[in-house]
Amino acid sequence: MEPQKFERGTSLSIFVSDRREDFSALIFAFIIAFGVMLTTS
Amino acid sequence: MIYTIKSPALLIIGILMLIWGGLNNSGAVDGMQSYLQKSAYGDHMKVKEKFDAEYRVAKELAASEGNPAPDMKMKASKFDHAKADQAKLSNIFGSAFVLIGLFTLVWKPQNGSLDYFVSVVPGVAYILLIAFIVRWGLDPVFANWGKAVKDSGTLSWDFAKIFNLNYVVLGIVIGMIIVNIFKIPAWAANGIRTARFFLKTGVILLGTLYSAAELAQLGGLSVILIGIFVLGSVGIVLFMGKRMGIPNSMTAVLSAGMGVCGVSATVAASPVVQAKAEEIAYTIGTILIWGVGCMFLFPTVGHILNMGPVQFGAWAGTGILNSAQVAGAALAFDPHGIETLKVAEIFNITRVLFLPIIVLWLAAWYVKHEEGAEKVNLAQVVVAKFPVFVLGFIAMFALSSAGTFAPAGHYQGKYFSSSEVKEDKLLKGKETRALDGELTRLREPDGAQALGKYLADAHVVSDGHNVMTAEVYQALGDLAANRKMTTRQQSDILKSVAKMEGFDGVAKGSIDNAVKAATHDSKNIKEYRNWIAWLFAFGLIGLGMQITGKALKQAGGAPLIIGGIVGTLKAVGSLIVVLMFVKEFI
Repeated sequence: MEPQKFERGTSLSIFVSDRREDFSALIFAFIIAFGVMLTTS
Repeated sequence: MIYTIKSPALLIIGILMLIWGGLNNSGAVDGMQSYLQKSAYGDHMKVKEKFDAEYRVAKELAASEGNPAPDMKMKASKFDHAKADQAKLSNIFGSAFVLIGLFTLVWKPQNGSLDYFVSVVPGVAYILLIAFIVRWGLDPVFANWGKAVKDSGTLSWDFAKIFNLNYVVLGIVIGMIIVNIFKIPAWAANGIRTARFFLKTGVILLGTLYSAAELAQLGGLSVILIGIFVLGSVGIVLFMGKRMGIPNSMTAVLSAGMGVCGVSATVAASPVVQAKAEEIAYTIGTILIWGVGCMFLFPTVGHILNMGPVQFGAWAGTGILNSAQVAGAALAFDPHGIETLKVAEIFNITRVLFLPIIVLWLAAWYVKHEEGAEKVNLAQVVVAKFPVFVLGFIAMFALSSAGTFAPAGHYQGKYFSSSEVKEDKLLKGKETRALDGELTRLREPDGAQALGKYLADAHVVSDGHNVMTAEVYQALGDLAANRKMTTRQQSDILKSVAKMEGFDGVAKGSIDNAVKAATHDSKNIKEYRNWIAWLFAFGLIGLGMQITGKALKQAGGAPLIIGGIVGTLKAVGSLIVVLMFVKEFI
């Protein structure tokens, strides 16, 4: 993919910074982890 | 800037997904699914035949008594579950995409967050559609094809397994084909940038699959040997990468691939060191090519050097980079026994368990080298730049080790529990009689002597001590009395003893059944694996879409050179160490 200009985020991410992407991934992963735990038990 | 592009594409993708969900629900694609889900379909047909026979008998009985036909339903099989899962996912996402697709067609987007996040959805749908095709279509097609070629005798090995032609590699390849041949549609461009986010989520969740208990169950030698070679390989690649002037991200991702466990380690380490898509592709290519070469070379060398199964297993598990290739080499060396494979797998699993340590190391290394540690305060840089999601991975690992997500003692997603053995899985009279008979035989002088010799020769160990004949008598007697395994130790002892030459076939079958009945799959771990597989498939297809031919050319040949040198050092070094020490220790 040719580098494309986005006013928000970077050419590799929709998030404004790596930290924000990391925290979002962290929250999403914990939601999945505890969601699975609650639904399968 | 307005991001949302008015296009019917999202609506069409949603409709396609709904059609697939409907076809699965109605059974209209059962013919195709029976090919794709070959093994599940085979099991399904066996269960169905049994059910049909039972139903016929019940119906005839009811008719003879003048009663109406009984209302019996077949229990859902693995095949039914697989179809239901596909239908569920297709319907959920299909409905969401149809609704958002319709909304984007009638809505007048305005500058702001709503426009920004709505514009992400078509790209997500685009990757997800491809992920469905890869996981539900291409992955099983290649698996069936590889097996068929092997079964036909055209090749003596399964090419799909050896070349790792699973959804991970296929996802990247499909992404690369799309971007280089068809180009990314403009309406999908924004959403494709979510690939790394989903990949990071998958890496964090990966932490749930590992537990400290698994590491504790492995032998000390495998931990030491693997530790030296994993850390050594990572260190050498990092050193050589710096010397040869290749980018830090490329060096770091290559070191994870060469040091730990091939493709999955590469994928796990890639966001930690902000590796570019082409660097990941390069690393995976290097590992696969190198691993396939080793897989063919190792068994030949093993036979020339007259290595034993334990020695060869230790060498293959340490020196070869990828799990499938480790198994391939072990089976090529010893096609009829499983001893080599078992040892190789222990070493292989140990290596995988080093992943959390390597991820942390690479995160710290990358932060330090990218910022130039001499100029800035390392602690400050780490606080500012350390990838937070790595801590998430470690937190998941810690929680999993503590038994939050799965039974604390689980091993590869399986755990022992006597209290969960179902009533219908308890041993039958014929089986307990066979066990009693075997117990009587082994107590007689000849039997006791043969048992004692077997325990000593086979080094049967439980809880760190050599098993004595009295423990075997106790274990066998308890099994016959309780009709199920009561402890993991009992299960381990009897599993080993059942392999003894001359052991009664029915008694052996009873032990196998009792072990199976007390070994349970962790439902949570199964679910986590499924989530991780989807997140990785999604992330890797998106990453594949960022790999252009031009970018690959720019990466140059240095990674291949480093990979070759480190791979050779690892293979030769581990061979020397194994030949020198393994015989004495195991």
